Amino acid sequence: MSAQSLIECFTANARRVPDAPALVWKDTSVSYSQLHARAIQVSARIASMDIGHAPIGVLAAKSPDSVALVLGCLMAGCSFVLPSATLARTTREKLFAQVGCVAVLSEQDVDLGATGQAAAQPALTPDSARVTFMLTTSGSTGTPKVVPLTEGAIDRFTDWAGEQFGLRQHSRVLNYSPLNFDLCLLDVWATLKHGGCVILVDPDRATDSGHLHELLGSNEVELIQGVPMLFQLLADAAATTGGVSYRSVRDVIVTGDTISAGCLATLPALFPNARLYDIYGCTETNDSLMHEIDPTTLPTGKIPLGLPLPGVRTLLVDEDGGVVDGAGTGELYVWTPFQAAGYLDPGLDEGRFAEHPHRADGSRYFRSGDLVHRDVDGTLTLVGRNDFQVKVRGVRTNIAEVELAMSEHDDVAEVVVVAMPDPLAGHLLHAEVRKAPGAELNSLVLRRFCAERLPRTSIPSTMRISDDPLARTSTGKPDRQLLIRTITERRRG
Amino acid sequence: MNRIREITKFVIEEFLPDVAAGELGADYDLLAGGVIDSLGLLKVIAWLEERFELAIDDVELAPDSFRTVAAINDFVERAQQPAEVG
Repeated sequence: MSAQSLIECFTANARRVPDAPALVWKDTSVSYSQLHARAIQVSARIASMDIGHAPIGVLAAKSPDSVALVLGCLMAGCSFVLPSATLARTTREKLFAQVGCVAVLSEQDVDLGATGQAAAQPALTPDSARVTFMLTTSGSTGTPKVVPLTEGAIDRFTDWAGEQFGLRQHSRVLNYSPLNFDLCLLDVWATLKHGGCVILVDPDRATDSGHLHELLGSNEVELIQGVPMLFQLLADAAATTGGVSYRSVRDVIVTGDTISAGCLATLPALFPNARLYDIYGCTETNDSLMHEIDPTTLPTGKIPLGLPLPGVRTLLVDEDGGVVDGAGTGELYVWTPFQAAGYLDPGLDEGRFAEHPHRADGSRYFRSGDLVHRDVDGTLTLVGRNDFQVKVRGVRTNIAEVELAMSEHDDVAEVVVVAMPDPLAGHLLHAEVRKAPGAELNSLVLRRFCAERLPRTSIPSTMRISDDPLARTSTGKPDRQLLIRTITERRRG
Repeated sequence: MNRIREITKFVIEEFLPDVAAGELGADYDLLAGGVIDSLGLLKVIAWLEERFELAIDDVELAPDSFRTVAAINDFVERAQQPAEVG
C-alpha cells in the first residue's frame, strides 16, 4: 500500500472537520479551516512567484503562521529549506545561497486576514520522489548540512507515526522542539495529517518548568515527545509542587539523547497512564529504532535502543569493516523507509552514507557514528559515540560511558564529561556536575563512586560540582564545545 | 605545621578542591577512592621531593606507599632517615 499524502490528508481534514482545532498557541486555538486558509494564501503566493521547482528558504520561528507557511509550500509542491530560527544571519544566508534558494518566506508573508476558502486549492500532483522538506543537521560549527527528504519519505513516516501512536481526530499532541527539527515530523506534521491538535510550546519558554507544567495540565495532552531535558524540567517542577501527575498522557516518547536513570525513574509517577517509549533516530534517517520501557521494571543500567521500526534495516560494522552477525559490537548502519538518500551536497556523503560493506542490496545506509552492541535476542544498546572515544594515557576511553556511570549517583542531577587535551596524557577528563537540589555531594564521594564503577583512567581528573545548570545547545544537548572553552579560560585566568 | 596536616592540605588542594580538610581522614584510601591515579602519583612525588627535599629513588615507588595520607607521612619519615651504612 502506498503511503497517503500528508498535504492531501490535511486538506481533507480541513474539509471534513473545518472547526476542529489544529493548533494551540499561547492560549489561542487555530482551527483546521483557519490554518488551511492561511496555507492556501501561501501556496497562491508561491505560485505567483513563478519559480518552477527552485527551492525556497523558510524562516520558521514557531507560530501558527509558520506552520501555515510550511503547509503552503507542501501545497505548492516546492522544495523548501527550514533552518533553525536561531542560526546567525550570515550562516543562514550562506545556507540559503548554498541550497540555491530563489526566495525566502517568513511568517510576515502570511496574510493574517485570510478567511476559510477550502475550495480554492491549487492543483497538486503528488510525486513521491519530489523533495519537499530540507532539514538541517544541528552542527555546532560551520554551515549545517542539508538533508533533503522526499514526499514519499515524509508520507511513509507520518503514516507509521499515525498508526503506531493512534493519531486521529481529537488527538492532542505536545510539540516541544523548534519547528525546524526532525521531531516535528511526528508531533506537528503527522498530527495534522491525521486530524489531531498540536499544542505548540513557545521556544522562548521551553525551559520554564512552571509554564510547561501549566501547558500540560490545561491541555489534556495525550502524546508528549521530547528530549530528556523536557522530562527533567517536568520532574523538577513536580518535585517542587509535590506529587503532580499528568493523567491524560497516553504515550511518552523520549528521544534525541540518553535519559538518565534518575530522570527515567520519575516518569511512571508523572505519567501514570502512559506507555513509555525511547526512540532513536537522526535527521538523516528519521526515527529508526524504538524501545518500549516497562514502567513496572525500569532498567537500572542502560536503556536499550530497542529494535528496528517496521521496514528499517540495520547493520553493525566492526573496526575492520566486517559485518557483525548475531551478538557483538560495531558501528550502527541504518537504512529506513523515511530517510534521505544523501546530503544535498553529494560531496558531504563520503563516510556518512555507504553501501552494504559486502554485497550491494540496493540500500544506501546511513553511518550513524554510534557504537552499538547487539544482544542475542537482537536488542541494540548504545555503547557510545564513535567520536566519543578518546585516549587517556593511551587507554581508549568512552566519554559517554563515564557520563552514564556518574549519572547513576543519586545526588547527580546532570553530568557532562569533556576530554581536555593534555600534553602529558593525551587527554584528561573533566566532569561538570549539577548536583540534585539540596544534595551534599562533593568530589570525595563522587570519586569513590566512580572508582567502584570505572577503570582508573576513566575517572575524571578534575570535577566541578555545583548547582549551576549545564550549558546546552539549541537542541538541548550539553554544549561540550562551550564547556571546553570555559574550562580553558578558567585555567588560564 | 604538622606534616600530616600539610600532606592533607596538599592532597585536597590538588585533587579535592571542593572538600573540607576535616573530611579527609589520614587513613582514607586515596587509590581505591579514585582520588589519586598514576598521573596524580607523579604530582604527589614531585611535591614531596621539593617540599621535604627528598631524593626519591624509582625503586621505592610502590603505590602502597601513597595509599593514604598516613602512608605518605610514613614514607617521608623513612625517606628522611639517613641511609644505613652498608
